Amino acid sequence: MTKPVRLDNPVIEIVDVSKRYQTEGATAVNVLDHINLSIRENEFVVLLGRSGCGKTTLLNVIAGLTPVSEGEVRVNGERVAGPGKGKGMVFQQNALFPWLTAKRNIAFAAINRGLTRKLADNLASDLLNLVDLAGAGDKYPFELSGGMQQRVAIARALALDPKILLMDEPFGALDELTRNEMQDELLRVWSARRKTLVFVTHSIWEGLMLADRVIVMSPRPGQILLERRIELPRPRSRTDLTLLATYDEIWAALDHKTLTAMPARKAAS
Amino acid sequence: MTHRGYRRLGDAAVPGVILIAFVAGWEAVVALGWVRPIQVPPPSRIVASALELALDGFPAGTLLGEHVGITFLRILTGYALALALAMPLGLLIGSNRTLDAATAPIVTFCRSVATLSLLPLAVVWFGVGEASKVFLIGYGCFWVMLSNTIAAIKLVDPVLISAARTMDTPPAHIFFKVALPAALPRMVAGARVALGVGFMVIVGAEMIGTTRGLGALIMEARTFYRSDITVVGMFVIGAIGLALSWGLTCAEAWLLPWERRQQERDP
Repeated sequence: MTKPVRLDNPVIEIVDVSKRYQTEGATAVNVLDHINLSIRENEFVVLLGRSGCGKTTLLNVIAGLTPVSEGEVRVNGERVAGPGKGKGMVFQQNALFPWLTAKRNIAFAAINRGLTRKLADNLASDLLNLVDLAGAGDKYPFELSGGMQQRVAIARALALDPKILLMDEPFGALDELTRNEMQDELLRVWSARRKTLVFVTHSIWEGLMLADRVIVMSPRPGQILLERRIELPRPRSRTDLTLLATYDEIWAALDHKTLTAMPARKAAS
Repeated sequence: MTHRGYRRLGDAAVPGVILIAFVAGWEAVVALGWVRPIQVPPPSRIVASALELALDGFPAGTLLGEHVGITFLRILTGYALALALAMPLGLLIGSNRTLDAATAPIVTFCRSVATLSLLPLAVVWFGVGEASKVFLIGYGCFWVMLSNTIAAIKLVDPVLISAARTMDTPPAHIFFKVALPAALPRMVAGARVALGVGFMVIVGAEMIGTTRGLGALIMEARTFYRSDITVVGMFVIGAIGLALSWGLTCAEAWLLPWERRQQERDP
C-alpha cells in the first residue's frame, strides 16, 4: 500500500533524555536513561517493550505531559514545554469524555482550536465517516464497544489536525480479532491523513504489522535495546519470512535482557 | 390474558399477599391483647388517626398538611443552603492538594460530630425559632455534601485531564468542562446521601420551640401518649423521603443521561 517515507528533517528529536522518579527512602528509579531518538516527518515509529520499560513515559515526555529530568525533546526544532500544540494523543482506554456523545467528543477537540460549533460538527461528522462510525455520532461512549470507542478516540485526536499523533497502547485492551481489525483501520486512516505517528505497544506482532521502525526498549534503566527498520509494503502478511526473522531477533533481545535481569528465575528453571 | 400476563399478575400478587398478611397479623396481635395498643398501635387505629390528623389536626388543630409543609420547607431550606455552600467549597478544596491536606482533619472531625449534639448550642446561637432548625439540618447536610464533593473532584480519572490537556483545552475549560462533569455523578450521589441526613435530623431539630412540623408532631404525640400519631408521623416522613428520592432519581436521569444507563448495565 505505502512505502516508508524518508525525510531528513526530523520532526521529533529526543536529545539525551532521562527521567528519574524519586521514591520515598529508596534510591531514584531510572525510568528513562539517556535516550536519543530522531523521528522523521510522517514516519510510523513503534516503541516496544515490556511493562515498566519506560515506553509510555517516553511517549508522555514527547506529549509534554511528563517533564524530563535531563535532556530535552524538540518538535519541529522547538523545545516541548507542555501538552497540546499539534501533538494529538490516543490513550489506552476510557479517555473519551463519558458525558459527551461520540460526535461531541470529537467536536470538543475541534472547538478548542477555534472552529465554530457548526464547522466543528461538520468536521466531527467527516471524521466519524473516516473511522467508519457514521451512524454512531449520537451515542455515548458507554454505548459503544471497546473498538468503536478507540475509533472515536482516534477521530478526536485527528480533530486537532495534529502534525504528530501519539498512541499509548491504544488497542491493548481489545480482543485479538478486534485488535487486528483496528490495526488495519489505523493504517487506512494513516494513509488518508498522513501524520508522524509514535505508537506504544508490548505486542511484537503489532509493531511488525504497523511500523516503519520498531524501537525496542529495556526496563530499569529504560534504554533503547534495538532498532529495526521494516521496509515491507503494507498490508503485511504475518507469515512473511523477513517479519518472522525480525520477530525472532526482537524476541531474542527482549528475552536475553530478561534472563540477565532475573538470575533467580534462570537458576530455578 | 396471555400466559405471560398471568405470570406478571402472580409476581405482583406475592408482595401484595405478604403485605395483607402482615397488616392482618399486626391487627390480630393487638386485638388478641398480646401487646398493648400504646406499645404497638393497630393499623385500624393508625388509619383513623391519620384521618383525624388530616381533618381535625393535632396538636391544637394543626392539620397534617401544615406539618408536612413546614417540615418540607425546613428540610429544603437547610438542604439548599448546605448544598450552595458545600459544592463550591468542596470543589475548591478537592482541586487543591495543599488545601485538601490542611482541611481533611477538620472535615472528618465536624462530620463525625453528631448533628443533634449541637442542638443546645444551636438554640443559644439562633434562638428557638426557624433559624436553629434550618441550621441543624444544614449542618448535617453540609459536611456530608462537602466530603462527597471533595472526594468527587479528587477521584476524577487523571487520564481525562491529560486528554483535555493534549487537546489544548484552556485551564478554565479543563475545570468547568472536564473535571466538573466528571465529578458530577459522585456529587449527585453525595447530594442523595445528604438529603437522607436532612431527614434523619428533622425530628431532633423540631424537638424544641415548636408544635408544628412532623418532628414536633411526633414529640407532642409522646406527651399525650398517642403512639398512633407517632407512627403516622413516621410513615409520613418515610413517604416524603421516598418521594424525594424518586424525584432525585428522575433528576439524575435528566442531568446525567450517560450515568443512568451505565448503572442499569452493571447493577
